[in-house]
Amino acid sequence: MRLPKFEYFEPKDIKEAGSILKNESTAKILAGGTDLLVNMKHRVECPAVIVNIKRIGDLDYIRQDNGDIRIGALTPLKRLHMTALITENFPGLAEAASAVGSYHHQVMGTLAGNICQQNRCMYFNQSRWWRSSRPTCYKAGGEICHVVNKKEICYSTYCGDMTPALLVLNAKISLTGSDGIREMPIEDLFSGDGKAPLSLEPDEILTEISIPSDANKGVAAYIKFANRDSIDFPIVGTALWASMEKKEYRVAFTAVDRKPVRGQNVEAFLKGKKLDEKTIKEASALAAKEAKPVKTSVYSPSHKRRMMGQLLQSAVNEAVRRST
Amino acid sequence: MKQAIELNINGDVHEMLVATHHTLLEVLREQLGLIGTKRGCDLGACGACTVLIDGEAYLSCLMLAVDAIGKQVVTIEGLSEDGDLHPLQSAFVDQGALQCGFCTPGMILTAKAILDEEKHPAEEVIKQKMAGNLCRCTGYKKVVEAVMRVAEESGQEV
Amino acid sequence: MEKEFNVVGARLPMMDAAQKAKGAALFTDDLILPGMLYGKILRSPLPHAKILNIDTSKAEKLPGVKGVVTGKDIPDRLYGIVPMAKDEYALAKGKIRYIGDDVAAVCAIDPEIAEEALELIDVDYEELPAVFDPFEAKKDGAPVIHDGIKNNTSFAIKKEFGDVKKAFAESDAIFEDTFFSQAVNHAPLEPHAALAQFDPLNGELTIWSSTQIPFFLRRNLSNTLQIPESKVRVIKPKVGGGFGQKIDLFAKDFCAAWFAMHLGKPVKFIYDREEVFISTRQRHPMYITVKTGMKKDGTILAQKFQSYADGGAYNSTAPTMMALSCFFLMIPYKVPNLFYEGYHVYTNKPVGGAMRGHGIPQARFAVERQLDLMAERLGLDPTEIRLKNSIHAGEPHSAGFVINTCGFSESVEKAADAIGWKEKRGKLPHGRGVGLAGASFPSGVSNMSHISSGAVVQVGRDGAVNVLSGAADIGQGAETVISQIVAEELGVPLDDIRITAADTGITPLDPGTFGSGVTVRAGNAAKLAAAAVKQKLFNFLADKLEANAADLVAKDRKIFVKGSPEKGLTLLEGLKAYQYADLPMPIVGRGSWMAPADEPTTLFEQDGNFAPSYSFMTQAAEVEVDLITGQVKLLRMVTAHDCGRPINPMLVEGQLEGSVVGGMGQALYENVIVEKGQMMNPSFLDYGFPTFLEMPEIEAIEVETDDPIGPYGAKEAGEGTQLSPAPAIVNAIYDAIGVDFMELPITPEKILDALEEKKKT
Repeated sequence: MRLPKFEYFEPKDIKEAGSILKNESTAKILAGGTDLLVNMKHRVECPAVIVNIKRIGDLDYIRQDNGDIRIGALTPLKRLHMTALITENFPGLAEAASAVGSYHHQVMGTLAGNICQQNRCMYFNQSRWWRSSRPTCYKAGGEICHVVNKKEICYSTYCGDMTPALLVLNAKISLTGSDGIREMPIEDLFSGDGKAPLSLEPDEILTEISIPSDANKGVAAYIKFANRDSIDFPIVGTALWASMEKKEYRVAFTAVDRKPVRGQNVEAFLKGKKLDEKTIKEASALAAKEAKPVKTSVYSPSHKRRMMGQLLQSAVNEAVRRST
Repeated sequence: MKQAIELNINGDVHEMLVATHHTLLEVLREQLGLIGTKRGCDLGACGACTVLIDGEAYLSCLMLAVDAIGKQVVTIEGLSEDGDLHPLQSAFVDQGALQCGFCTPGMILTAKAILDEEKHPAEEVIKQKMAGNLCRCTGYKKVVEAVMRVAEESGQEV
Repeated sequence: MEKEFNVVGARLPMMDAAQKAKGAALFTDDLILPGMLYGKILRSPLPHAKILNIDTSKAEKLPGVKGVVTGKDIPDRLYGIVPMAKDEYALAKGKIRYIGDDVAAVCAIDPEIAEEALELIDVDYEELPAVFDPFEAKKDGAPVIHDGIKNNTSFAIKKEFGDVKKAFAESDAIFEDTFFSQAVNHAPLEPHAALAQFDPLNGELTIWSSTQIPFFLRRNLSNTLQIPESKVRVIKPKVGGGFGQKIDLFAKDFCAAWFAMHLGKPVKFIYDREEVFISTRQRHPMYITVKTGMKKDGTILAQKFQSYADGGAYNSTAPTMMALSCFFLMIPYKVPNLFYEGYHVYTNKPVGGAMRGHGIPQARFAVERQLDLMAERLGLDPTEIRLKNSIHAGEPHSAGFVINTCGFSESVEKAADAIGWKEKRGKLPHGRGVGLAGASFPSGVSNMSHISSGAVVQVGRDGAVNVLSGAADIGQGAETVISQIVAEELGVPLDDIRITAADTGITPLDPGTFGSGVTVRAGNAAKLAAAAVKQKLFNFLADKLEANAADLVAKDRKIFVKGSPEKGLTLLEGLKAYQYADLPMPIVGRGSWMAPADEPTTLFEQDGNFAPSYSFMTQAAEVEVDLITGQVKLLRMVTAHDCGRPINPMLVEGQLEGSVVGGMGQALYENVIVEKGQMMNPSFLDYGFPTFLEMPEIEAIEVETDDPIGPYGAKEAGEGTQLSPAPAIVNAIYDAIGVDFMELPITPEKILDALEEKKKT
């Protein structure tokens, strides 16, 4: 499958990159390319302009800054699970990074690229010929969503592995645009709209991810459930952060909704409790209700909901193991 | 419109005309005649197109050729020196770690990247890092054995 | 066994292994010819429709497009791998029958323009009602997929051996169970490809094709293009895996040839991975009902099978597949009375074809599962029930099979022992279990037309040996195995052999790689050819060495009198003398081999022996079920394997290891998911076959039986090994969690559903 043609830019700094994006509404950023180029070959994303930001310096770093950890947007995923600073302090994050795709995807893929990945759906992530068996779907520029058979709505699923792991660490992101830099909690990046999953100004680029210093006052785990142990996107991914001392817990899910989901009901239920068998069982039952997945893949929504609960159990087991 | 670029492939500098929408895989195979790098799926899910970029394992089907400017690209053809087989190639041959041979170039290059990173990786690490290289013939067992053998035998940089 | 042989039985790398490791081995897409054009196929987006009109005018006008062809332009010649089942045109004529059916083709100066041109072809379809389930398709009133095929049933087989009714009446226990085996895709790493070139001066077509069947392809191209076979040359380059998916003529072969002939330029077609998934072949999904009558001690008295194969839109190998599925129910167990009823039903879906095992894995899954069910019901041990019913060499067989060697019962015992059956079965903690399953496979099938193999061996003055064989090496190492046989026969090392294979312009006839017949057929042919060379040389040297030709031996590049190694000379000396005696050089020997049969049989008409020999094996699995996620991990698979004598144990292990992972894939990870005729997961990402991380521990135990028919005692080793991994795993899952699964694949969702169900009861 050949790529479509496009105009190509290699800006020398973020400002230049932002202004190119501002001028062309269909322009896309090229980082690792493992998500964008596949979608372009499928003709579901056909940007007229590609902005390759990999030549911009100082976007690939992992630094400590007053106890916070700051990670540059273009830090390869591989570096996250091979850098002591991360593996020792945030094993859950390292775990998520080594769970993304295959080793090659971790070499090429970047943290921001994984966070900002396009939403997925079995009716969307297909070749143009395959999709010609039915009317073009809303996300791909048509009118209808084939998942729910309704017009002008998109239920495509957010499937990134890194985001839930970052959510439970209360990570923040920095977006750089022509008006300067905005910092916000990572969850604010996600719109919940399958067709336009990211809440970004036209010229904004995610440039940094930061993890607050209190994140390593608890243990974190990321459990990915997929068909195979490599290459695959998650069927469900569950991240857990637990402070056994304070009995405070944070839970997040991926691949169950149009954006990553924070398990607020589970967190509220677990707060102040010890993680014994009965509690975990009840929490799992609650977890299965934290989202209403629809059938955007070959896996049934009921199985996904069940797995949200099952994976919470696995995550708890792992967290308990790590805290001893 | 194509642009004139320079690519460093297996130590040779090539001046060539390349379109920005051509992938490195397409340029290697179609313009440079380096057919050792294979196209298994063109979507980054099988590893048959693996090349080394500055020593790291990349999926050349998901890389724009222009993104390889200024990098050292190594394809399977660049591994053997003076016609001799690289230790990884010898191990694959001797241990029967290949059958149809289509996935083999990708496998060997990924293995090289792994062993260059870590001289004596554990078997689990090898399996984890090679899992993006799919094979339908061998069942993987002899591939692991071949890579382990090279890992164990190597005293110096592979 | 003592080392009798020098080259046969040695663990040698494949002859082209170094070439492959260097990336220098040439597959079809690696071949480049000057002026080469590129082709792409336009495929139907609908499952069932009439083609009212195809407007190619816009595509033809696109700069760079050199040709467009549709079904209207090509001869009205149906083709099919089995003559009685020809139902396909290279490009659809009048109607399309599945999403992915070949509708038109374009040819352009570069692949991008070809892709673009497809978008410019306008097809007017009149959609027809479609049917996606074989049981719906066979009902009266169902949409007719092929005119003249009643109830969409393109092939039916009904066979009885013995008296099933009587035997059931005498049974102590009768049980009937229904099973389902799902569609899986071969997914070879190299996509289908063809490069064709035509010489207008002598009207000769040359085509390089990623194929398993060069000679059948030649015949089909000759028929469909309407040119004589003698004007078609098929050359097989390196093939990146086939597993049965590259048996058949495909649109890429026809269209590459067509354009080459019409445009006078070489033309290359390469399929995208998606096309390989959707528009080539897959394993037939099959619904199988087995009724077994047993004595209470577990002896099988009778079996009745009814199977429905979901054929997809065309036949491909349908009759052969159904026949194999039927007849090979009679090995490895004694089934004194068997009734088989099988139907191949068309549906508007991707096409089923030959896939490693070819109809037998589905049947074997049903049998091996039911044996375990029966064992449970009768309170018997699964290994005991298999030993009890095991066939043995030399015993009379209810269907007339001639079983010269059979290591089956030995394989049951060895596999059970190696997996730790006595210590583990029924004794492991909840979630862990062991299970086993037996299998047997023919080494090629006897007495079908074209099923003979030829070889030519030439030895030159310098001792270099040239072998010509029609055999199609698709990565399994056939060329190496054949060369090892020749080397052994001539008493030279493997390094002295050069082999040219699978070129219909040069090499002798060979049916190709299917049915696991290559080692026995092509190997025996090569052995005979080498023996003929040896005979000429021995006849000449006998006087010189003052011995009878019959007492001479060729070994270690020497020729000498048996028992008196000092009475001899080197091979080179012998060849020199031969040449100086003005005898024709190189010394040429020819051989041809077809499986022996006492009575004329065809698969469908008569009883009798169906294969020159049969492999036997038992596979034992240990699994671990994650009770939280439902994921099943195959921890270990042991195979005790009788392939007669492995010509190259390293290559046999390779076959075994690949088969175990392939069988495991079918059991746990793979599924062709089709929704209203459309495959939903046509990519390596979404069709997830196993990676390094899913790989189990694999152990192979050899059971040597030294078959009289096979070259140097060898029997097949390529397909039988993929029959029993799936049932062994499913049998082990029963041991692990007490749940009987009757269908494949076993997904984590099904495990969790079953565990929840169990909790309620």
